[in-house]
Amino acid sequence: MTDAGFVIAAYGVIVGGLALYTLNLWRRLRAVGRDDRAP
Amino acid sequence: MSALRAEARVALAIARKDALAELRGRHATVSTLFFAAVVLLLFGFALGPDAARLAAAAPGLLWLAVMFAGILAVNRLHLLETDDGALEQLALYPVARRAIYAGKALAGFGAMLLLGLLVLGAVGVLFAVDIAAAWPPLLATVILGALGVAAVGTFYAGVTVRLRAREVMLPLLMLPVLAPLLLGAVKATSAALAGDPFGELAAWLQLMVAFDVVMIVAGLATYGFLLDD
Amino acid sequence: MKTRVLGATALLAVAAATFVALAVVPADLNQGDAQRIMYPHVASAWLAYLSFGVTALGGIAWLWKRDLRYDAVALAGAEIGVMFTAFAIWGGMMWGRPVWGVFWQWEDPRLTTTALLLALYVGYLLLRRLTDDPERRATRAAIVGVVAAVDIPIVHFSVEWWRGLHQTATIASPDRVLDPAAPMAFVGTLLGMLGAFTLAWAYLMIRRYQLARAELAREERARVELLAAAR
Repeated sequence: MTDAGFVIAAYGVIVGGLALYTLNLWRRLRAVGRDDRAP
Repeated sequence: MSALRAEARVALAIARKDALAELRGRHATVSTLFFAAVVLLLFGFALGPDAARLAAAAPGLLWLAVMFAGILAVNRLHLLETDDGALEQLALYPVARRAIYAGKALAGFGAMLLLGLLVLGAVGVLFAVDIAAAWPPLLATVILGALGVAAVGTFYAGVTVRLRAREVMLPLLMLPVLAPLLLGAVKATSAALAGDPFGELAAWLQLMVAFDVVMIVAGLATYGFLLDD
Repeated sequence: MKTRVLGATALLAVAAATFVALAVVPADLNQGDAQRIMYPHVASAWLAYLSFGVTALGGIAWLWKRDLRYDAVALAGAEIGVMFTAFAIWGGMMWGRPVWGVFWQWEDPRLTTTALLLALYVGYLLLRRLTDDPERRATRAAIVGVVAAVDIPIVHFSVEWWRGLHQTATIASPDRVLDPAAPMAFVGTLLGMLGAFTLAWAYLMIRRYQLARAELAREERARVELLAAAR
């Protein structure tokens, strides 16, 4: 793997990971908000 | 000042109670020692048979065996309490929580010291290292290491005593915290056995002392909160 | 509403900083393009340590004030801290392979300390998961968090000594950019990345804290219902 490969792997996981975690947080927040409205 | 002496007396009483219980239930102590021996044997199979390689690895193997067996030892000292609800009763007494931690850690230290010395002897025999020549620094290392493992182990045994999945959580919590003590103990042992060629023995012993002091203080300060449940 | 603005700002900042780090700032003379990895790696490590500081302080605040909101802050710090710790280790490994030739280097105090940090706080999160009673959970977590926090400096010093006494040639370290002689472009890019990541951290901390409070409330409601049903 060239240097560029490692750079992409690094940024991909880190920035991608931040994005995934954010989406996951939003999903969890929606789920717990839904419970409030359940009968 | 007399309040402190009262605490110390309580701590010693608890330590003596635990030690006596250990000595009476001798089979548990013996099993722990045998476990350490088995670990050393497996190390021999895993890393041997080259004697030079084993001798070079001996300090690491010594302390790994002590720490793995130490998990069993501190776990058992706390089980003594849960079996008859003694821990809850102890918490009711108007005694400083610190004294309870100090007593248990002291009993743990006794167990770990015995374990450490016996494992040291076994390592000397099994991996052909000359422990007699460097016995003063080796003794200091074993004492400091036993103290650190007891301080940390007693603390985490208290945390996990009524936890689900206790068997895996105790080592999982305890071992990472012990990493710097392990490093210091292994480097000190290694330096002692080699005759301290680089003059680094003192530095590693100081690291172990610093670790022990910090962990004992942390344990004294926080263990009591566990008893508030 | 303010949080949403923070989130949007963080998103833009991270995008901008990433663009600068990959396409604008020049590559290092010695380490080449691999040196670009160092920007998110150092930023992640900084936020990992910050997060765990928050966890330790949150735990102490709980022990002192007995308000579960502090425990919620501690939890947010630990979960987000574990994430940034994993990022830091991953970044370190991706940097290490091209520069050192190996993914792992035992003599690098930052890498080994960060790996131990990960172990300590994964243990913290597992411990929390195994305790159902909120107050007991908060107490156990707080004291484990405190002991983990005081262990970290000891770990760092021990590994520094380990490296120092080993008497080999000094190995390259990822945070060479913090060297005062480093070119301004590198320092500027690092600070920009750090700022962007910190904004993202703040946004995620707020959201995670809100989630923790909401889940706590749900736990409490479930307990009340259970008690009512039992009568």
